[in-house]
Amino acid sequence: MELKYFIIRRGLIIIPTLMGLTVLVFILLWAFGPYQIAVAFNPDLHGNHGLATLANYLDQQGFSAAVINGQLQFTNPIGSYFRFVADLFTGNWGQVTFPSRVSTMTAIGVFIPNTIQLALGATILSVIIAIPLGTYIGARPNTPADAVGRIFSLSGYALPAFWLGYILIALFANHGIGLVASAFPYSGSGVAGATGVPIGEFGLSDPTHILLIDSLLAGNLSLFVSAVAHLVLPVVTITYGILAGILRFIRAGMVDAAGQEFIKTARAKGVPERLVIKKHIRKNALLPTVTVLGLLISGLLGGVVTVEIVFNYLGIGYLAVNFALGVQVWGILALTFVFGLILMITNLLVDVVYAFLDPRIRY
Amino acid sequence: MEQSIQIGKEEKQLIVEDLKVRFFTSKGIVKAIDNLSFYIEEGESYGLVGESGSGKSVTATAAMDLIPDPPGRIIRGRIFINGYNILNDLERLVTIKVRSPYDVRIRRRKRLIKRHNYIMSGIRGDKVSMIFQEPFLSLNPVMTIGEQIKEAILLHSRVEISNSIIKRETLNEDDIAKMVDTLMAQPDNQTRKKLIARMCSQYAIPDLAKPFTDLYENSTDREFIMKESLALVSTKKVGLNLEELEQARNYFLLKDREHDLYLKLIEAEKQEDEVKIDEVRKQIYQIKSQIRSDYLLFVLKRLFLKRFMDRPFEEYADGRVLELLTEVNIAGPERVMDAYPHELSGGMLQRCMIAMAFSSNPKILIADEPTTALDVTTQAQILDLMREVNKTYNTSILFITHDLAVIAEMCDRVGVIYGGNLVEEAPVKEIFYNAKHPYTTGLMNAIPKAERRYEKSARLESIPGSVPNLISPPSGCRFHPRCKFKMDICSEKKPKLVEIEKNHKAACFLYSDEVEEEVEEDVP
Amino acid sequence: MVEEVGFEQTGLQTGKRYSPRVEQFTATLKSFLFYKSAVAGLIIVLIYVGITMVDIFDPALFGIPAATYTYINTYAPQYATTQQTYPSPFAPGFSHGFIYWFGGTIYNYPLLPAMFASLKFDLGYSFLIVAIGATAGSIVGVTAGYLGRWADELMMRITDIFFSIPFLIIVIAFTVAFTAPLHSSLNAMLLALIIVWWPIYARLTRSLALSTKSLNYVEAATAAGSSRIRNIFYHVFPNVLSPVFVQISLDLGSIILIFATLSFLGVGGFFPNGTYTFPELGGLISNGEVFMLSWSTNKILGTAIIWWPIVIPGIFLLIFTVSINLFGDGLRDALDPKLRK
Repeated sequence: MELKYFIIRRGLIIIPTLMGLTVLVFILLWAFGPYQIAVAFNPDLHGNHGLATLANYLDQQGFSAAVINGQLQFTNPIGSYFRFVADLFTGNWGQVTFPSRVSTMTAIGVFIPNTIQLALGATILSVIIAIPLGTYIGARPNTPADAVGRIFSLSGYALPAFWLGYILIALFANHGIGLVASAFPYSGSGVAGATGVPIGEFGLSDPTHILLIDSLLAGNLSLFVSAVAHLVLPVVTITYGILAGILRFIRAGMVDAAGQEFIKTARAKGVPERLVIKKHIRKNALLPTVTVLGLLISGLLGGVVTVEIVFNYLGIGYLAVNFALGVQVWGILALTFVFGLILMITNLLVDVVYAFLDPRIRY
Repeated sequence: MEQSIQIGKEEKQLIVEDLKVRFFTSKGIVKAIDNLSFYIEEGESYGLVGESGSGKSVTATAAMDLIPDPPGRIIRGRIFINGYNILNDLERLVTIKVRSPYDVRIRRRKRLIKRHNYIMSGIRGDKVSMIFQEPFLSLNPVMTIGEQIKEAILLHSRVEISNSIIKRETLNEDDIAKMVDTLMAQPDNQTRKKLIARMCSQYAIPDLAKPFTDLYENSTDREFIMKESLALVSTKKVGLNLEELEQARNYFLLKDREHDLYLKLIEAEKQEDEVKIDEVRKQIYQIKSQIRSDYLLFVLKRLFLKRFMDRPFEEYADGRVLELLTEVNIAGPERVMDAYPHELSGGMLQRCMIAMAFSSNPKILIADEPTTALDVTTQAQILDLMREVNKTYNTSILFITHDLAVIAEMCDRVGVIYGGNLVEEAPVKEIFYNAKHPYTTGLMNAIPKAERRYEKSARLESIPGSVPNLISPPSGCRFHPRCKFKMDICSEKKPKLVEIEKNHKAACFLYSDEVEEEVEEDVP
Repeated sequence: MVEEVGFEQTGLQTGKRYSPRVEQFTATLKSFLFYKSAVAGLIIVLIYVGITMVDIFDPALFGIPAATYTYINTYAPQYATTQQTYPSPFAPGFSHGFIYWFGGTIYNYPLLPAMFASLKFDLGYSFLIVAIGATAGSIVGVTAGYLGRWADELMMRITDIFFSIPFLIIVIAFTVAFTAPLHSSLNAMLLALIIVWWPIYARLTRSLALSTKSLNYVEAATAAGSSRIRNIFYHVFPNVLSPVFVQISLDLGSIILIFATLSFLGVGGFFPNGTYTFPELGGLISNGEVFMLSWSTNKILGTAIIWWPIVIPGIFLLIFTVSINLFGDGLRDALDPKLRK
């Protein structure tokens, strides 16, 4: 019963944060200045202009700053904010010219499944590795195994993800120097030039845009294998970065839990050492780890951006960077909003799941 | 477990001899316990008193070999539990090289330590149990009370549980008739109730105790009782696979025998008896190969279907948990069973701890300041409860506290510990009325008493100074810097704990000149 | 129980030799020296700082030509626009003089002075960002934590918003958005990073201020008539300082990584993509990408594989981030009395 109220209360907290997010995005829009805004709200003006020429061009077209303010009603910031919020929530996100001239909604909608696949893969892989490894290391603090784990997680913090990507390509990719293996393709998601699956917008496969699933739907096994091979290096690169955080947290939790009184009780009642670690220490150590999942997802989404660029992988990270480079105002605004929404919902879910799992937490 | 190993010290349940414990920290070696010896007889309750930091809790933890390593280690000593020395393989587990007090290298032999932990996990909780100071911290916060007690039960009584379940499943009309006859013959309701409880627990039908009792209270008609009993029992028969149960029983029996053989093996290794070592090794090998050949399928099945196969055991254990919680006077045991520790009060939790400690009827209970964290009324209830279990199970208790009032309530004999040394040991009356050691008398004078308020000197006497730093303890008698009767010899030689009166030992040069031999050792 | 300490046992009369703060400092220092990896980290960080200092004040000491980056400033845009093939850089070795010890990179520009110049940029600007972010954040956080109620609630909600967007995304978005009004993508990026960074310090110092506020001695000071502002400066701030320093040391590493990532992505006006050409380690690494495309062909042809433009600056960066993380970790453990051994 209490849990239900907690979930409702936690859900309500999201409202002010959501409002704050829209304010932030609105400020972002204002920061672009009148000429970029004019382009954003007048799709016909899209084109490749430098900032200086853009101003000239717009002036020629009769779009002086004063006119823009008048036309777009930006003299009334409150009113325009509410119009903008209405636009944000109704998915009326303007247009972008990259990857081609389409509505921002379409571009993000088509590219997001690939990113979800990448992020899920990295999450699953890091959890699969982190839990047993963290248990092993955390059960033996201050031993050589612990030192190795420490160096491993430290390097995860300290490595720039794109550099790691380059090194992995050099070592393992078919385009690298092939020092260790040349099994993995280094670029794209494998859809380029692929036959046997329906190809839709922007050269992505149909209907789900995820080659992994589409190739199976089309019954094309070799394409499926190739899709998996394309996923390996990007997923490993992201995993390496986020693994460090989880590992460090699990280790700290294990050491902390192992020093608690109730572990002594467990030993005193004759629980074998193996079960003490598995049943008593680990369970207590893993629970708080759930709370840092939000941070993890934040790191994951940042990592996705870099990795998608390194591996030319068509996801929203790739889209974000190209929007930024081409100053696609609506694209940037919409992606900031989308990333914010994803993280907010994840944090909400994490809190709810934690409340379910830990009997002590009842707000 | 079978009582296979006895060394002829049965009447003494717990013997600690010559115990020496060290903690290796970055500030130096903490000389926590030195040459500590005491024993506890069957059914006796032994109190260990001292200030904070005197080493009482370390003694308690050492008695179960639970000293956290690192930083601590038992360096030397013998601890007999139920006649078996749990420190038999102590010297072989590690080699300690002391280069300087700040640089101590400990090499641990992982395989032997693993074996030691294995034999200890069979002894802890089975032969000797422990309850702790902070009930809030001593129970796992993410497991229910029921789960935690159940864990203790399932660890140590698997054979007994399988036997009971088999008995229940094979219970036939004749058995019930015999039961009814015995019960009908009982003179009064009280004894009958007890007998019913015992029988029900024997036949793994503990939740039938109440309906049975009601039945006998409401009726004297044998035919009717017989019919009802049959009906009741038949509801409890689940129709389990008897063959599987028997296999489980035999498997657990083998496992327990293996454990006992390991005890024998370690003992033989201690005595360096090559013939015996070979013999025991052979037996262990036999058991192992028997498990491999006969129980391979069973073990594999258990690996994957543990949840299903253990269900009857779990159900039985649930019943036992209820029984135990009722026994420690917890109101609403069903509710408490499913509660998490944070939902209960300190007194309740300590009751649960006691229930857990007695889940396998241990012969020794070590209570490490069990009432310190509780308020006064709860304290009294818990002490009453402990005395009650002490009586009913004839358990020996090692009671550790700094509260002399509790000692006076609970204990038969008392040892006073100071700076890691036992300084005085006597029956409780002697300690209170005829204390010998200056430290003990100081302790006694520091007790607040109501009448003293009205005496001339209204101020409480206290012992000046504080507990010594055990990294560099005072030379000679460790108490001499704070002692009123300090002599020259006190700072030079260490007094030996000797019997100065009948049953009264003290370590002080005021009473005896005997000096404790100081031996040069690898670990200072 | 019996431990009743007489006056002669308290520190009041025996008198401690140092004030508690000095004593605490020496304890921290001793404990810090115990963490050997942290000390090693500190030494390496100091070496990097030393290199930067020399590079700022007298680059001739390294035998680096005075016109450090004029070469690239002049030619890079041309190369970038005319799409010429890149000349093969020198391999690492001693045959081309000190500045080519680590070989050359794009346009055969010597890697060693490039790395030193990049380090100057990285260290200087990351320190600027952290300093501004930490100061602003600490002031907001301490005030909010100390005042409590609506101020606290407001600050928490505002920081919530910043934590609800992935760092990299918000930095990219703000950098791009502020480029036009600030007339420089570098300024925009610095502003964006400060905007992102202050909430971390605000959160950290808020929780510290909350816990300090309820300490007995602060309450005693309030009871003795100490004003709120006096309390904040005399009691709360000193307690907040050391965790903030730990966070700063850890953040320096993270900001340099973000610099590297941004210049790899081409956001923020780093060399060689933008109008403003700033040498930066991440940019230096990504410059090597042009040689990566020839790895596979070189492998077949058997000629030398040009690995150093990517690997060497990467390792140079890695050593710094690892060291500063080690240092920060050690400092944190040393400052935490619970963890002190």
